[in-house]
Parts: sequence; C-alpha cells; structure tokens
Amino acid sequence: MKVTIKGYTGVAVWKWVANDDTCGICRMPFDSCCNDCKYPGDDCPLVWGQCSHCFHMHCIMKWVNGNQKSNQSCPMCRQAWKIKEK
Amino acid sequence: MVSIATARIKREFKEVVTSDELTKCKIKLELLNDNFTELKGEIGGPPDTPYEGGTYQLEIKIPETYPFNPPKVRFLTKIWHPNISSVTGAICLDILKDQWAAAMTLRTVLLSLQALLATPEPDDPQDAVVANQYKTNNKIFVKTARHWTNIYAGSTLAAEPEFDSKVKQLIDMGFDNHKSRVALSSHLWNVEHAIESLYN
Repeated sequence: MKVTIKGYTGVAVWKWVANDDTCGICRMPFDSCCNDCKYPGDDCPLVWGQCSHCFHMHCIMKWVNGNQKSNQSCPMCRQAWKIKEK
Repeated sequence: MVSIATARIKREFKEVVTSDELTKCKIKLELLNDNFTELKGEIGGPPDTPYEGGTYQLEIKIPETYPFNPPKVRFLTKIWHPNISSVTGAICLDILKDQWAAAMTLRTVLLSLQALLATPEPDDPQDAVVANQYKTNNKIFVKTARHWTNIYAGSTLAAEPEFDSKVKQLIDMGFDNHKSRVALSSHLWNVEHAIESLYN
C-alpha cells in the first residue's frame, strides 16, 4: 500500500515551566495571563527572581513600583527582589 | 473591565469557603456586596487563650489597589487585647501595614489575626491601657479578657461572676452597661477608681 501525504496541520502546545501553577500576586494560572492582558504567552511573560520565585512580569512590576518600602522585596519570601538573568 | 482586586477576591473567596482546613480552624468569610469590596470575616478564639470559645466578627474592606496594598480590617466584636483597640476595634499588626506582601491573601490574614490573639505583642500596643495591664497585672488581664470573651464574643466557658456583680453595681448607679465594664476593666476592677473615672 502506498500512502501519499497531501498536506498536514501541525499542532503544538506550550506551557511555562515554573515552580508553581499560579501567580502569587494575581492568583491566575501562569498559563493564563495577568488581569491587564488578553493573551497569555509572549504578551504576558513570566519573570523569575534570584530567590527563584516566579510571577507575571506585569504583576511583579506593579508591586515593585508601588509606594511601600517593603515592595522592594519578593512578595513570597521577602528577600530583595532582583530579576534573575537567564 | 474587571479590576485585579475584584478578580482576586473572587478567586480567594472560593479558596476560603471551600477549604475544610478553615472550618477546622473556625474561620469564615462572607460577602457583603456584589463588587467584592466589602466582606465580613469571622475567627474563633484560639484554644488555651482567654479568647477560647469566643467568635470574633471582622470588618474587611478591599482597597481598589488590592493586592498591592493590604485589606483594611478591624474587629467588630469587642475584645480586650493589647494590639486591638477596645474602643474602635482597630488592629496593630505589621502585615496589615508596612509588612504587607502581595502574595498574602484573606486566608493568611485571618490566620494571622488568630495567631495574634494567641501571642499578643504588648511592646507594640494599639490599646495602651490593655497593654500596660498585660505587662503589670497579667492575672487580671487574663480574667478581664476572658470576661470580655464571655460578654461580647458569646463564649459559654466559665466567666468571672464577681466582675458581673461589680458591673451591675455601677449600672444600678445609673451608668451605661458597656461604659461601666470599660471603666472597671481599665481600673483593675476597683469599683471606687472606676466610679471616679466615670465622673471625670
């Protein structure tokens, strides 16, 4: 029997590889986006801190740029928040 | 668009009401309006404390900037505790002020308040009279706190009957029930001193 492939549709799934399922700030799943975004993925990326905790970039930026002193620390572990360069 | 505060409270509310851990710890959460900005919390007094057996109602207001700013919480049920105002119910707890973190939730706030009932911080008081009593006359503090748990928080555990008769003494003189109890509580249950303060 001979099979000729005339065409195919590629399907791929993606997911963020994070050490948690949900963002500790907005409590939305990482595979979904923060409240201000419409589409997950590159439009609403995740960032990791040097403490290894992970958040939607938009969420942690809002926290760090807030007016309280304690905001300079990770909302999970209170270590100084510094983005981990990959 | 739904604000982040509303969206988060919705999710948190589901977490709290479905978690059986919270019924075991005697913690409840109730919505007071449809836009998730006002809630009522309830915590049970922790065992082996003067608050055991009591049920404490809390007013919770969610700011628009939640979770980047803490919820505003105060006790609606009257309580005798160094870090809670016996007059307004205002709470002195770092995580409700400058130690708030965006990853905290209403669940962790309620559990923290329950922990505060078990471990008062008299050196960082909200109510100076209570804090001073806690430090200098701890036995009377414990009895007074237990008495308030009985009268205001609905505990059925052993009260202090001699306190009741002293309050009644002042009521019979024409003073208001609650004011009499506050005056007596603030003056180590010395009737003369309490009367003096009520006249001033």
